[in-house]
Amino acid sequence: MKFKRLIAATLLIASAGAAGAAPNAQAILAASDAIRNPGKPFALSVTLVEYRNAKQTDGNTLTVYSKADANSGQFRSLIRFVAPARDANKLMLKNGNDLWFFDPSSKASIRLSPQQRLLGQAANGDVVTVNLAKDYQAQVAAEESVLDGDRQNRRCYKLALAAVSADVTYHRIEMWLDASNSRPVKARFYTESGQLLKTAYYRRYQPQLGVERPTETVIIDGLDPNWVTVMRYGNYAWREVPEVWLQRDYLPRFKPE
Amino acid sequence: MRALVLLLAAATAPALAVDEDAAALLLADKTSTTAEQSSDWRMYAETAVRESRRQGAGIALHGARVSIDARFDKTFAPGWRAVFADRLDLNRMDGVPGNRDINTLKEAYLSWQAEPDRIVDLGRINARNGVAFGYNPTDYFRGGALRSVVSLDPASLRENRLGSAMLRGQALWNGGSLTALYSPRLADQSSDSVFSPDLGATNQRARWQLGLSEKLSAALSPQWLLSGGAGQSPQLGLNLSALANDATVAYFEWSGGRAASLAAQALKSLGDAAFRSRLSAGLTYTTPNNVSLTAEYQYNGAGLDQAGWNALRRGPPAAYGLYRGLVTNIQELPTRDHVFVYAVWQDALVKHLDLTAMVRYDAADHSRLQWLEARYHWTRVDIALQTQLNTGQSGSNYGALPDRRVWQAVLRHFF
Repeated sequence: MKFKRLIAATLLIASAGAAGAAPNAQAILAASDAIRNPGKPFALSVTLVEYRNAKQTDGNTLTVYSKADANSGQFRSLIRFVAPARDANKLMLKNGNDLWFFDPSSKASIRLSPQQRLLGQAANGDVVTVNLAKDYQAQVAAEESVLDGDRQNRRCYKLALAAVSADVTYHRIEMWLDASNSRPVKARFYTESGQLLKTAYYRRYQPQLGVERPTETVIIDGLDPNWVTVMRYGNYAWREVPEVWLQRDYLPRFKPE
Repeated sequence: MRALVLLLAAATAPALAVDEDAAALLLADKTSTTAEQSSDWRMYAETAVRESRRQGAGIALHGARVSIDARFDKTFAPGWRAVFADRLDLNRMDGVPGNRDINTLKEAYLSWQAEPDRIVDLGRINARNGVAFGYNPTDYFRGGALRSVVSLDPASLRENRLGSAMLRGQALWNGGSLTALYSPRLADQSSDSVFSPDLGATNQRARWQLGLSEKLSAALSPQWLLSGGAGQSPQLGLNLSALANDATVAYFEWSGGRAASLAAQALKSLGDAAFRSRLSAGLTYTTPNNVSLTAEYQYNGAGLDQAGWNALRRGPPAAYGLYRGLVTNIQELPTRDHVFVYAVWQDALVKHLDLTAMVRYDAADHSRLQWLEARYHWTRVDIALQTQLNTGQSGSNYGALPDRRVWQAVLRHFF
C-alpha cells in the first residue's frame, strides 16, 4: 500500500515536472530508492569482480537476504559468502552500524566496526541496499545531461544529498537521477572533509521483481580511479525474512535455500 | 605561473574523470561473470614443514605435516540440517617419540528447526562462547577439546577442536534468544588412538548451560550465561561488546562463581573453594588502511598469583608438571594477569598478502610468546610462513615451552 502511494506520488511529481514546476527532490530520491530496493523482503545473489590497473585482482559471490526495518526504513541484511572457497559459508549481519561476522568453522561471532573491511569489497553493498531518502536531505542542484553507464547522454536531475544523522558512511552524496523516470544513473560519495570516496554507475536495467532495476553497479574508487569494482545482481526472489533472524544469535542458524 | 598550472589542472580534471569513468565502464562491459553456486562442502588439504629449536640446547628439529580438513553442512529436508566437520593430521617429526596421526571429529550433529524460532540440535557440537580474542573465560566447553594443535593462532585453536556430545535447544524472539544444553557423561578416559571420536576428552562428566541474549538498545545486546555440571558450582558469565566509534569495538567477557583454585584442582588438595572471577576486556581499532589492532587484558582469579607461581616453579617438578598439564588441557591461564596483543593487516603492501602478529605476555614472570604470520592467497591456494618465539626464564609460563623458536611453512589448497 505504502509502495503504491510512493508510485502515485512519483507519477504526480513527474507530471508536475512536465508542467514546469520545481521537482520535489526528496520524493524523486525516494522513488529512486524504490527502484534500487524491492519493497518487500527479498533475496538476491551478488557477484563482485575487482580490478586494479585493468587487471582482475579479486572475485566474490554472495547471497544476500534483505528486509527493511518498519520504523527506520533502513535495510537489514544477512549476507552469506559463496565464493571463493576459503570464505564459503561465512556470514555477515548488517543492521545499520551493527555489524556482525560469523565463521562456521570457528563458531566465532565477531562484532565489526564500520571501518573494518574483513572481506574486501563486500563493504560496497552499502552503495546498493540503502534507502537514501531516510538518511539524507536532498536538494535539486541542477538539471543537466550526463553520460550514463552506457555512455549515452541522459537528461538528469542532479541531487545534492546532505546526511541527516552523523552515523552514516557518507557525509555528502551527489546523485544523478533520470529526469523522466527517477532511475539512478550515477552517484558520487564524499567524506566529511569533501574527499571523493567512490563513484558509482547504475546500469543494465532489467525487469526484476516487478520493476525495471539496475542489475549492475560499477564502482570507481575516489582515491585510485584504477581500482574498479563491478557488482552484478541476479536470482532476485521474494523471500520471507523473519525478524528473529536479524540478530547475532541467529547467525549460526542461518542456512539460505 | 602557479596560478596557470592550477587553472589548467582545474580545467582538465573533469575530462580526466570522464576518461577514467569511461575506462572503468569499458572494463565492466568486458566482465563476464557466472554466479558460483553455494556448496554444502568446504574442504582443504594442507601440508606444512617446520623447524624448531629447543630451549637452551638450540638443536634444530625438523618435521612435516599433512592435513585434510572437511566441513559438510546440508539441509536434507525442510527444517532438517546435518553438520559434519572433521580433520586428519598426519605428523612426522624427527627425533621426537610419539609421532602421531590424529583424527579430530570436530562436529557431527542433526538440527531440527521446527519453527523459524524454535531449534533443537543433537550430536557432537562445538558450543563456543566468548567475545574476547585471546582468552575466553565463558567458553565453558573448551576443556579437553584440543586434540591436535597445529598453530597457536587463537583462530586455529577455536577451529581445530572437539565439540562435546549434547542435546541443545534454542528459542529466539525479536532481539533475543534463550539456549539450553545438556552434555552427558559418556566415557571415563581420553583416547589417543588415531580415529577415536575421543568422547572421553569432552564428555567425562555431565554438564549443562543456559544462555540468554536480550537486546537492550540498538547498540547493546549482552549475553548472560549460567553453566554447571557434576563436581562444580554454577558459573555465571557475561559477554558484552559495543561500538566505541566508527573504527573501534570494545568488548568485555566475564565469568564468576565458586570454584577451587587451579592449584588445588591440579594437586587434588581440598578446601580453597571461593568466589573467583575471570575476565577479558579489550579494544579492536581498525586504521583507515585496514590494520586491525586488538589489545586485551586478561585476568584469571583461579590462577596462581606471582608469589604462588614463583613458589611452584621452585618446588617439586612433579607438582609443577601436574599444574602445567592441567592448565594446558583446560586451556586456562596459569597465572593471574596477562596482556594479549593481536594485529592483522589485510592486503599488506600488496593485494592478497595478510600479515598477522600476536604477543602474549605473562605479567607474573614477564615471559612472552610472539607469533608472526605472512599469508598470501590466490583463489584456491594459500601459502603462509609462520614464526614463533617463546622467551622467558626457566620454568616461566612461556620460557618453559619445549621450543624456543619455531618456523613453519604452510601450503593450503581449497577444493
